Amino acid sequence: MRKRLVQALRWLVFALAALAMNFPVLSTFVTSLKSDAEISSNASLWIAKPTLDNYRDIFAMQDRFDILHYLANSLIVSLIGSALAIGLAFPAAYAMARFGVGRRWLLPLVVNLRAVPLIIFAIPIYLMYQRLALLDTRIGLALILALVNVPLALVLFSTAIRELPLEIEEAARVDGAGTLRLLIHVVAPMSLSIGAATAVLAFILSWNEFLFGLMLTTSRATPVSVGASFFFAASGGGVRWGVAAAVMILATLPPLVLGLAMYRQIGRSMTAGAVKG
Amino acid sequence: MRREGYALIAPLTAFLLLLLGFPLVVDLVYSVSKVGFETIRAPTITGLGNYATALADREFWAAAWFSLRFGVLVAVIELAAGLALATFLAPLFEKRPWLIAVLMLPMMVAPALVGLMYRLILHEFVGVVPYYLMLWRGDFPAFLSNANAFTTLVVVESLQWTPFALLILHSAYAAIPLEVREAAALDGAGALKRLLYIDLPLMAPAAAVTFLIRFIDSFRVFDNIYTLVGAGAGGATTSMSIYIYQAFFKVGDIGLAVAASMLLLAGSFVALYAINWLGARAVAA
Repeated sequence: MRKRLVQALRWLVFALAALAMNFPVLSTFVTSLKSDAEISSNASLWIAKPTLDNYRDIFAMQDRFDILHYLANSLIVSLIGSALAIGLAFPAAYAMARFGVGRRWLLPLVVNLRAVPLIIFAIPIYLMYQRLALLDTRIGLALILALVNVPLALVLFSTAIRELPLEIEEAARVDGAGTLRLLIHVVAPMSLSIGAATAVLAFILSWNEFLFGLMLTTSRATPVSVGASFFFAASGGGVRWGVAAAVMILATLPPLVLGLAMYRQIGRSMTAGAVKG
Repeated sequence: MRREGYALIAPLTAFLLLLLGFPLVVDLVYSVSKVGFETIRAPTITGLGNYATALADREFWAAAWFSLRFGVLVAVIELAAGLALATFLAPLFEKRPWLIAVLMLPMMVAPALVGLMYRLILHEFVGVVPYYLMLWRGDFPAFLSNANAFTTLVVVESLQWTPFALLILHSAYAAIPLEVREAAALDGAGALKRLLYIDLPLMAPAAAVTFLIRFIDSFRVFDNIYTLVGAGAGGATTSMSIYIYQAFFKVGDIGLAVAASMLLLAGSFVALYAINWLGARAVAA
């Protein structure tokens, strides 16, 4: 009896925690399904007449605020940023794990970078970008996102590669494979699972990055994390809360779906990154 | 072999030199120079004036104090809530691992968007929280006022990132060998005793790491403050990151902004050094 009571209490705590922590998204979703009239008369979580009008109206503003443009920017910079971070970290992690190169200085430097507020470098980067005409470009933002993701990628790959069996690599060496071929044809396939986990987490972190998106873009390369706030001022007088809510839901959906689908991998890489880093 | 090794780390090294090394040099030079947007390529070295300005600025210290207070408070709350949830809900997660995915979702949302969402949720006319508080108590506080903004932000940040503490601590809890708990149970230790003398001590390293990571991340908080209150609330919500951002973009004082950046970097190094020292001691012990 007491056991079942405790178990019921556990479910209750779980439900409350899930509700409280996910409340911003849930509540915003509810608002996004209300008409303008209902939003101003009914602030509760109950929707009297659900409608998809807000989602339709986002696209009516496309000439001034183009949500598809922001979403595309986010997609492209996040993909490039994650791929670049992995492309830079993977060979470096291999060199550290197998040849011991850079293990004493590069690895600690990059790992500790995780603890340094990146705003410290933001101003010189802004000035440098101004000079190189990289301001408000996708490639400029993607480079910074790669910088943000490098520590995580390096930690995850170097831990994973250290745990790979040496015998397979030695056998490939005996068969005459050079380091580059070894890396591409032997080590990379064996690191696929950690690579995927890294890629997903890096993509989500990139998609959600805000500070550099805010500083380094103005319109052409604006990511959706920054562009979403434009809709709060979209209609002159009052904020169209329904449209703003719908925009936020659209902007949140990609990382949310990805997170739900791949929570195991994300959990693993977050834990590994935290414990080893 | 070693030569090949250097070739493999060369791209990463070059990348870091370009995006961290060069900016750091610029930071250093500008922080001891008189420089404006017009004289950006010809700064005149003037000495430590910018540092003196920063250190004499009441707002600089207010920002440092805000970040420190915010970081510690948020990290403590998240650690405590994460520990409580990880240990109490462990039997649920053990049978249905996907339940933890539901609690991980908040981490997938951009903090900037969470800030925006709360602008809607806390809004006095259309917000759901004021609506229900009104029904329940007939009144609601001004969440983003000078006096309340700090508390509001602590709650917002903690609700979003307690999942991180929960995730790390859950995996630490799950890693405790079953035999250890069974042995303790055989010896007659009750649930509370097992928690206090077995589980918590074994989870202590993970708890320390969680605290540090969450402290570091909350200390440099920017996104949700910027989107939720902007620089508003009469400076009551100016974190270190917001301070530097404003010194640069709003005031246009490049020298002050980079001097503050360098001070922040020095502070991070001290913190990192302390962490590594503590870590080394913990390993030795």
